[in-house]
Amino acid sequence: MNVKVRFFARFRELLGTELIIEVAEQTTLPDLVKQITQKNIEGHQAIFDEYGHFREYVIVMRNARRVDLADAGENIVADGDDIAVFPPVAGG
Amino acid sequence: MIAIQTEDVDIGNLIKAAKKHGTGAVVVFDGIVRDDDITEMELEAYEDVATKELEKIAGDATERFNLLHVDIIHRIGRLSVGENILIIIVSAGHREEAYRGSRYIIEAIKAGVPIWKKELTKNGGRWVPGDHGHGSGEPR
Repeated sequence: MNVKVRFFARFRELLGTELIIEVAEQTTLPDLVKQITQKNIEGHQAIFDEYGHFREYVIVMRNARRVDLADAGENIVADGDDIAVFPPVAGG
Repeated sequence: MIAIQTEDVDIGNLIKAAKKHGTGAVVVFDGIVRDDDITEMELEAYEDVATKELEKIAGDATERFNLLHVDIIHRIGRLSVGENILIIIVSAGHREEAYRGSRYIIEAIKAGVPIWKKELTKNGGRWVPGDHGHGSGEPR
């Protein structure tokens, strides 16, 4: 199945703007993002801490809804999902 | 008018349009690229989500402060020092509601709308950290 992943701001500079990723069934949100960051050390370290958890400032949206990162490891992605990963906002 | 766009707007025309029946006060907030020893500022947005969130903030402010009209225009792209970044125009029956409504809108935008700013300098660039509640240690 395929999932769209978008990055913004600094994460975009490190990892790309928009990717379509083929993932296995039962892939969790953190594993989906790690599939992208595994070959990019700087990008990986910007998003994940040393334990492989999303850093506290990272914001993840799934189909335009914010994901509670405390439960991200139990969040299984589905075919056609639109995932956005970004650093803290700074508009205005 | 709620918009995320590259183009600037004519604030005078927006003020005229904000004067609805019953308006006693119009408050204009104009956020501007400040000269912090930068060459330019680059702004980007998660546009679909950001536009919906601006619409929700405008709706919430209208309800809470009895606003008669709200415009929020947030610009993206590359902007020079002195250019408009964010224009908020609210009208209300009285100044108290107009001021409070305007303040509510700018603070809500800064707290959660997915828009980012990068200050471009002679030596490269730096992402503006923003007023967020996600702890410290943000990568630069």
